[in-house]
Formats: sequence, C-alpha cells, structure tokens
Amino acid sequence: MGTVQWFLKKITKAFGRNTNSLFYTLLYREILKEIQEITQEENDSLLILREIGKRAALESCERHSTIFKFMPGNPKKVLEYFELLWVVVFGRELEEGDLTYEVIKKEDSKYDDYLIRIKACPICAGYGMDEEDSFDFNKISDLEAEGMACGLTGMLESVANFILKIKKNEYRINILEKRCIARGNHCLEFICRIYDAVEWKKLTSIKIQDKLKSGVKIEESPEEEFVQEAKLDIFDKLQEYLSLDKIEELLDEPLSGIKEKIADLIRDKLDMEPERFFNYFLNYEDDMIRIVGYLSVHLVNEYGRIIEKMLKNELFAKIAGYIFKHLKEFTLLFIPLDVINDYHQLLIEFLDGLAPDEVVENVKQFTGKDDITYMFEGAQMALENLGIDFSELKDNIWEELQKREEGELISPEQSLMDRTKEKFPKIINIIQELLMLINEILTLPIRVIISESHHGLKTAINSVVSEEEGLFGSIKERIDTIFEYVSEMK
Amino acid sequence: MKVLRNELIDSEATMNQMRNAIYHLQRFMTLNGETQIIDKLRKMGANIARTYIKYWKPINLVDLNNIKSVLGTIYKKILNSNVQIEFVTGEKKISVKDNDCALCKYKYEDINVAGCEIIMGMVAEFIKLINSRANGKSSFTLIPSEVQESKTFGHKSCIHVYQFEY
Repeated sequence: MGTVQWFLKKITKAFGRNTNSLFYTLLYREILKEIQEITQEENDSLLILREIGKRAALESCERHSTIFKFMPGNPKKVLEYFELLWVVVFGRELEEGDLTYEVIKKEDSKYDDYLIRIKACPICAGYGMDEEDSFDFNKISDLEAEGMACGLTGMLESVANFILKIKKNEYRINILEKRCIARGNHCLEFICRIYDAVEWKKLTSIKIQDKLKSGVKIEESPEEEFVQEAKLDIFDKLQEYLSLDKIEELLDEPLSGIKEKIADLIRDKLDMEPERFFNYFLNYEDDMIRIVGYLSVHLVNEYGRIIEKMLKNELFAKIAGYIFKHLKEFTLLFIPLDVINDYHQLLIEFLDGLAPDEVVENVKQFTGKDDITYMFEGAQMALENLGIDFSELKDNIWEELQKREEGELISPEQSLMDRTKEKFPKIINIIQELLMLINEILTLPIRVIISESHHGLKTAINSVVSEEEGLFGSIKERIDTIFEYVSEMK
Repeated sequence: MKVLRNELIDSEATMNQMRNAIYHLQRFMTLNGETQIIDKLRKMGANIARTYIKYWKPINLVDLNNIKSVLGTIYKKILNSNVQIEFVTGEKKISVKDNDCALCKYKYEDINVAGCEIIMGMVAEFIKLINSRANGKSSFTLIPSEVQESKTFGHKSCIHVYQFEY
C-alpha cells in the first residue's frame, strides 16, 4: 500500500467517531431485522438495506466533500483504492492479504470488471450463532439477491460514485455483493462494473419501488445530474495536481518508473520514440533546460490561470518580479553546490537511456549551477509572457521604493510626518543593508542545514536494508503509535 | 475465513455512516406507518445487549453503589464515550450526559426520535441481564425514561435519563 493511502487511512480512523466493532455489527444486524419486520419479505429487506446504506454514505460524503477531492478521479483508480474506501466506510483496517483483486477482461468496453474478495467479513462475523440473529437467509428466493453486507455495499458504491461525481468523471461504478459468508460462501466478494453516463442512467432508471414485491413504500433517491462542464474553483484545480494517486506515484515510484511514464507519454502524445524527440535538442541542451523552466510556469498557470490573473495588476506584477529576482539570486547563494550537483547527476541519469548518447554527453558538460541558471531563464521568459516587465525593474525592491519618493515636492513648512518622510529613503537604505547583512550571515547556516539534511537523507535512504526495517519503516511505526495515542485520548 | 464476534470486541469501527443509517431507517418506518419508533429503537438496543453480553460484561452484579461506574464502563467500552453521570435529586432517576454521542451528531428537522434511544434500550437491558444472572443478589433495575436532550434536536449534548428501582 502506498504511503499516502496508509497515512489517509490513519487520519480517517483517528478522526472518525468510532465505537466498538461488535456494537457496529450488532446495530447493523438490528437495522436489517427492523426492515424485515416491516417488509416481511427477505429479498425486499436486502434491497432496502442497500438503499439505506447508499443514502447514509451519500449524506456523509456531502458533509465532508473536500476530503474526497483529493481522491483519484478515474474509476479504475478508485477501485484500486478500495481498501481506503473500506476504511472510510467501515473504519476498520483489513489485515495484510485479506483483500484480493481479480480483473475480468471485457473486450468491448473501456474498463474491465473487477472481483474484489475480502477473506474475513466483520459484518457476517459469527452470524447465526446467537438467538437474535433471526434474519433467515435461507428464505431468499431471488438468485441475484445480495447478502448480509448489502448495506455496506451500498455505502461503498455511494462513496466511490461520489468521488467520481466531484471529480467530474462521467463514469460510475456499480458494486454488488456476490458472495456472502452468512449465506454460506467462503468469503465476501464484490463485483464492480464500470458504466458510462448513458449506461448508468439506463441501469438506475429502474425505480427501487418497482423492484419491491412486498408493497412497502420507500422514497426514491433524486436522479443524479451528470455535470459535463462545470466551473472549476481554485481547489478543484489544485486537487488535479494533488490527487492521491499522483502524490503516491511521486513518493513511491523510482526514477526508472518515471522514465517509463515519460517515454510512454512521448510515444502516446507525440507519436515518436523518446530518443528521436530528445535528438531535436542535440547541441541545444541548454534550451531544453530553459524549456523545462518555461513550461513549469505555464503549466502552473494552466490550472486556473492564477498567475496570469495576478500579474494583470501592475503592483502585483512588480512585487512578483522582485520576488523572482531575489529567488534567482538567493537559490545559488543558499543551496550548496554539491546539493545542486547531485540534482544535476539525477538529470543525467534521467536522460540516460531516453535521450541519444550525444545529448547526455553534452548535458554532462554543464554544471548544476548552469542547470539552475537555465531553468530560471526559462521561467523568466514565461513570466514575461504572463505580464512581468523585467526591463522596468530596478536592481532590487528597495530602489523601487526610493524611486517613488523622489517625485514629490518638499513643503516649506515641514511637519514631523514630512521630516520622517524625508528620512524614509535613508531608513529604507538601512533596512536594505540590515537585511542583506542578515542574508549574508544566514547563508552559511542555511547551507549547512540544507547540505546536512540532503546528505543525511541520502545516507539514510542508501543505508536502508528494507523498507520496513529502514528509516521509512521506523517513521511509519512511530506515526502508527501517535495515531494510537490520539485514538486512546479520544 | 470467519471472524468471530469475540474478535470484534477489541477493534473499532467508524459510526459516521451507520449513524446516518439510523435516521434513514426512521424515515422508512414513518413512511410505512410505524408510530412506536421509540419502542422499536429501544428494542433494537435491547437485542444488541442480549447478544453483546455473551461476549463481554463489565461486572457480575449491579446495585445502587456501583451503578455509576458500571454505566461509565459500558458507555466507554462499547460506545467509546466519556460520560458524566449524576443522580437526579429527589427522584429515583439517573442522568447520563454524553457530549459526543455515537448515534447523534446533526440536527434533523424531520426527525422526532433521537438515535440514542437505541443506547438507552441497550444499557437498561445490559443491567437487567447482569442482575438476572446474579441469582437474586440484586434487584436493581434500570428503565429508560427519556432522552432529555439530544444533538438530533439541536442540543449541545445528549442526556439520557433512566429510572431505577431496587
């Protein structure tokens, strides 16, 4: 399981309202029995429990919709995160190896079907051993009927589809309980089928009321509206970058995995081999790095056009320009050279195998410092495109502030305020010099800290025997303990 | 592989969806003409206690001297709630205040019965069952009186009032 998924599971568990699992299971049983008392028809009771589960989970999701914005937005990924769905719904973690997947290939469809098996179902735990377990599964006549976990299944389906809905995905997942331990099967098994909007509408067009044979009444759920093109807020844009699967990939995939992904992307989108693509940059390797800086800024801007909107304001554009200039200066001042060179080495390793040998050799001629300079040059070009006029900027922001004071006339009768204003440029000069001094003083310790953490991290990572025994395992264990303490405190 | 009920005693489950489910069940009951919802919920609680006691019980005997600690233990161990328990002056009543009720959290305009009626039914049955197995050593019984306050009705906490006899 990925790190982020593991961490989110911990958070969900620690901050949900927990009770004892046996109480949960028995309450679940009692709800089913009450429904049965009204319907007097086992097939109907299961259908209604499923419906109640769906509504209950939807209500919860709507209250905490922001959390789900960070979940992956395609149905296949949502199903791959089934264990997290389980924890969200049930709050109980599965044991290692308790959950298994099986893909059922579908030739005529974009997505395959999935069989998800859970070895030990806590809902069915010991069902039938106690007198109060009076719902009789033997009376179920419908071959398609679900089992004891139908309410839980409804909850899982609701959460999965809520995620797809808020991620504005047009696919939906139908989750059905196929095997049930209380009905004599050896495990709990779900079949998950993925439908497009049209198929889903057709599937859900049959009203629950029409499926019931006992004549009991149930309110129909409101029909779901598929949002094709909705206005996206900043948060929506942000979560495109920060969705769980993307963070997980960044944290978990080694360089070779990322290289493969880039190669696939080039093949897929540009219809050419990566080597041919990088060959275009032969002898223009510096431009290649500039393009990275250039594209990075434009890519960030693509999401919500935040940068562009901010830079429309002249004052903001100037401030951003100065911040950028300072960042450019201080990056090389604060980050130790060997750290920069390590990243340069990483760039070479990244290109090795993807780009022609000549390109790799030429990049080797650069230093880490060159990489940073080219990146900043590229980013500066992009910022110019977006509205910062770097030619208008002074050497630093203090000169800009001084300039604003110059044009004003001096009043013959100077008040205390005027005299202070007169002194303002000098005050600015002092502040500037003081800040520069602090910067200079801080340069060394900051270099030490960055260098130390970089090398410390490098040594720690390189000296790990296995994930579980190493630093990562130890951190995981420590966080586990913290969450346990938090739960106990609650 | 089967999980047994006694294995569930030591683990926890998140109530968020189940809590909502209780109110959807109530709506379903009302729609189908059920009027005795309080009784129904208390009966659900009593059934939970009848099964639960086979796997865990806080003590072998309950009387007026230990009722406060028995209630505190039941609320803590089963519901994960830290409650304030007080005898109601001049009455044979005991009130339990739960600021973080497992079955109530949000105010519902269309609901007239608090989900924690289930808890009241369960707790009272628990006490009854413990003493029924104590060979007549204690005649102390607890009867659910009312949910005086509930988050379901917009209050800040839930207050369960039980009547006792001994």
